[in-house]
Amino acid sequence: MSPPADPLASLLAACAQGDRAAFERLYRDTAPKLFGVAMRILRREDWAEDVLQECYVRIWDHARDYRPGLAAPMTWMTSIVRNRCLDWLRRPNFEVRDEEGELIEAVESDRPGPLAALEASAGARALKKCLEALEAKQRQAIALAYFDGLSHSELASHLREPLGTVKTWVRRGLLRLKGCLDAA
Amino acid sequence: MNWRNNPQLQERLAAEYALGTLRGRARQCLERWMRENAALSRAVAEWQARLAPLALAVRPVPPPARVWRAIEARLPGTARPGLWDSVAFWRGLGLAASGAAAMLLAAVALISPQAPVPAPAPVVLKVPSTEMAAVYLAVLSDPKTNKPLLLVSAGRHADQLQVRTLDPSIRVSGKDLELWALPAGGVPTSLGLVGDAERSMVKLAAAADKSLANVPALAISLEPKGGSPTGRATGPVLAVGPCVRFW
Repeated sequence: MSPPADPLASLLAACAQGDRAAFERLYRDTAPKLFGVAMRILRREDWAEDVLQECYVRIWDHARDYRPGLAAPMTWMTSIVRNRCLDWLRRPNFEVRDEEGELIEAVESDRPGPLAALEASAGARALKKCLEALEAKQRQAIALAYFDGLSHSELASHLREPLGTVKTWVRRGLLRLKGCLDAA
Repeated sequence: MNWRNNPQLQERLAAEYALGTLRGRARQCLERWMRENAALSRAVAEWQARLAPLALAVRPVPPPARVWRAIEARLPGTARPGLWDSVAFWRGLGLAASGAAAMLLAAVALISPQAPVPAPAPVVLKVPSTEMAAVYLAVLSDPKTNKPLLLVSAGRHADQLQVRTLDPSIRVSGKDLELWALPAGGVPTSLGLVGDAERSMVKLAAAADKSLANVPALAISLEPKGGSPTGRATGPVLAVGPCVRFW
């Protein structure tokens, strides 16, 4: 059931052979998406730039570790970026900046957020459908955790709910999500 | 609760890892376990794939061109000098160079007895008169606003730098300021951490004449307590500026 060869997979394979031109092409094709992911989580352009730089050097260094059978190229690269962002947020004294109340607004308004853009592929449509089937609170908690990199305790303070409650939403939400996706 | 014999727990940890809510030590533990347990790493990969469409739904943002330049400069075998090998230094230098240089000229003019230049200068340097004739000087400015933030000076034979912080607001509690030498044609090297007082000393590994001889610029970055763990600037560059010999 492997999908038709992803051009990014060929570029990664070429990177593993030390092909610099392929790496540049890979960067051009993927950096805006990954920079968007980092900007969304870190909310500071200078940090997002530093993270993006580190991650692409890492992608170059580890291109030979990429296993096409285990993950799609974009999933693999996105995981590298998200992991680095989450590490970054663990630095001492870090606080999620919400001066403009953007996070709260995103939760409270029904302004279309990234979830609304989830139409691109069959997988995306299935995920959207299953997210929509969750209870609203579960969906909000999962979206804030994924898009904005909020931890349990940050979720609790932003959603103004006890920590235990938020943890339960996340856990049950993920369980239901898996059940729904597996059934699809 | 032993995760090895508990598929439900494994599944939950994998899901929360992929979502990002598994943090701190638990996250590190799971990364270690993933390396030794194929089932667990497969569960994580499956969750990452399930959630991946979310990342693709985030609005793309084209990164500035300097990010690619900095990446390229860090690849092995790059012919160009690796001097500005981090985004932070590119950012800092590109924006600061002209402003900081002008500021430095003003500062030098002020302390020079032969140069009664009536230019308005926000910086007043006090250098011990015995060292007037042989001193290294740097004015480090905010790359964005060009506001001078630190003065650094050292007698050419001294083995310590005198640092004066002009704006205490650059300090962040729980973080350290690290001073970097940006040598011509080499990678930035740490000179040490800047103390908390308005005036502090940074002990040099060798006399200034040796440590700063081939160093056209200095920079300050914000680092974790105790300094950068990697030997490179990991935090934002707060100030950058040319370092000149004044004799």
